[in-house]
Amino acid sequence: MTMSWARREHVGDGHTCKCKIISTFTSERTQMCALGLRWPERLAFRQAGPVPPSAHPLGQGPPGGPAAAPRLGCCSSGTAGGGAAPAAAIPTALARARGFKRAEAPAPGPRGRAEAARTPGAAMPGDHRRIRGPEESQPPQLYAADEDEAPAARDPTRLRPVYARAGLLSQAKGSAYLEAGGTKVLCAVSGPRQAEGSERGGGPAGAGGEAPAALRGRLLCDFRRAPFAGRRRRAPPGGGEERELALALQEALEPAVRLGRYPRAQLEVSALLLEDGGSALAAALTAAALALADAGVEMYDLVVGCGLSRTPEPAPTWLLDPTRLEEERAAAGLTVALMPVLNQVAGLLGSGEGGPPESWAEAVRLGLEGCQRLYPVLQQCLVRAARRRGAAAPS
Amino acid sequence: MAAGFKTVEPLEYYRRFLKENCRPDGRELGEFRTTTVNIGSISTADGSALVKLGNTTVICGIKAEFAAPPTDAPDKGYVVPNVDLPPLCSSRFRSGPPGEEAQVASQFIADVIENSQIIQKEDLCISPGKLSWVLYCDIICLDYDGNILDACTFALLAALKNAQLPEVTINEETGLAEVNLKKKSYLNIRTHPVATSFAVFDDTLLIVDPTGEEEHLATGTLTVVMDEEGKLCCLHKPGGSGLTGAKLQDCMSRAVTRHKEVKKLMDEVIKSMKPK
Repeated sequence: MTMSWARREHVGDGHTCKCKIISTFTSERTQMCALGLRWPERLAFRQAGPVPPSAHPLGQGPPGGPAAAPRLGCCSSGTAGGGAAPAAAIPTALARARGFKRAEAPAPGPRGRAEAARTPGAAMPGDHRRIRGPEESQPPQLYAADEDEAPAARDPTRLRPVYARAGLLSQAKGSAYLEAGGTKVLCAVSGPRQAEGSERGGGPAGAGGEAPAALRGRLLCDFRRAPFAGRRRRAPPGGGEERELALALQEALEPAVRLGRYPRAQLEVSALLLEDGGSALAAALTAAALALADAGVEMYDLVVGCGLSRTPEPAPTWLLDPTRLEEERAAAGLTVALMPVLNQVAGLLGSGEGGPPESWAEAVRLGLEGCQRLYPVLQQCLVRAARRRGAAAPS
Repeated sequence: MAAGFKTVEPLEYYRRFLKENCRPDGRELGEFRTTTVNIGSISTADGSALVKLGNTTVICGIKAEFAAPPTDAPDKGYVVPNVDLPPLCSSRFRSGPPGEEAQVASQFIADVIENSQIIQKEDLCISPGKLSWVLYCDIICLDYDGNILDACTFALLAALKNAQLPEVTINEETGLAEVNLKKKSYLNIRTHPVATSFAVFDDTLLIVDPTGEEEHLATGTLTVVMDEEGKLCCLHKPGGSGLTGAKLQDCMSRAVTRHKEVKKLMDEVIKSMKPK
């Protein structure tokens, strides 16, 4: 079952808006959702038997795409002249590891899954702009004997303590750093600057002295994950998931920013995830809204994000603000973005096997409560930043 | 009044300060900005360090993975640096593939690693010809206010000192690697290269640790990488105005003093981390 974004539509001036939630129900399981939930890779590695990689549909997929044919020969070529059995054992083991992963990934959603399955070296083969490393590399976790401990049972409505600080980068117009448990996100805002390819337009002007719809400002969001942010290293050209999260950021922030006051201009928001400790998108949303507020961009309200995940089958419960371990083992995930004062949902993104619709509705309610609880911390953070700015200004 | 003059004639504004042998932020010509270092903050990385040189902030994360050793050197591992200058550090950078400055910085770091032998690549080999470590050193600039090369080198050094690799044994019968994540050991860091950057003004005056504005106004830059015992590892002078031999000697002696300061700071930080 999938639910897609809730859009906040502008009707006249920003305060009388309606919100609609679009939800679609499908019966198949969505394997990978945009929150970066991934099936426990290591469990998949252990449970599947040795599968010849070519037997898997992905292995025969279109060449050149992310599901490229497994490079069996790659490692054994490193052992020049090594013909004895032990020399071949390690390459086979590495190849088997790749085969395990592919066997577990189902056909729908090949994009995300196959990207996670293969770890190219530091640079893609054609990338001349980065220092070249080995063609392929595997993380040591694949060979570790011990499993992760299961996440400890906890109160499903607990929120991790949050540290938020705004106004810390000197070169950006506005910036914010948010740390919630192990998740560390840094966000910077620059602009407004001249929009590229701004079109001329007429049409009725919005209320409150805003520009007509065709001339309204634009919000450009960029989401980046540091290569060392997750359990496995991700080579810098991030790929589809980062673009999807950037789009999610943009859709959630747009309802809150008075873009009509920045005609023909664009505001650039860049979020950098330094460490992923669970609910990364929610933290990025909150940090981005704080950075926009710190930059002095006119906004209707802040946007607060909150992540949720649903524990798998025996006794499924929705957990607020999951940690990375909980997210990895989850059956479904959800991120809610709320504008606390206006009490309106700015964005909603979720997928997975979540059970009946009432369960999703309950999860959304839980998420919205979580956002409201987080709001006073962010207010404090902005007040402190404004004081600091005021104290520094006379110099 | 001063702010207006600074916008209209930035070079003249600077010259007025340089005549008095000081700079707008109050530093001497040979003085560095406050350096702070914070190591081990990213728990998903095998080693990490955050370095702040005044406003310039750089974070380095090390991730270690397995790979087959290169064909021409079966007893060596890999160290792969990558410097990233994202749009959030300064408005001059755009998102997308690495620009010129990022590529130059990456290559500089690769040269420093190679020339100073900070890590012997032989130490990274687990089983010759079959398995070795590859250390991905990803350096991300969070705030760009000049002197990026110094900050990157320092961050790399601090992160490498902080990095811990799990113990690996090759099982003789199956030939598979067995990793014990509970037992970790530090890397063997042989040398401590420290970079010192200078900016040349009007072909004559040398200032140390330029800020972003100073770099913009400078007519040339120079970076000297020094090792212990005053050994020179690397000298990076990308064009710009020429320097006499005597000036170059001055730079190198300043670099030697800087090396001592940085080494002291590093030792303090490492010592404060050790009892864990």
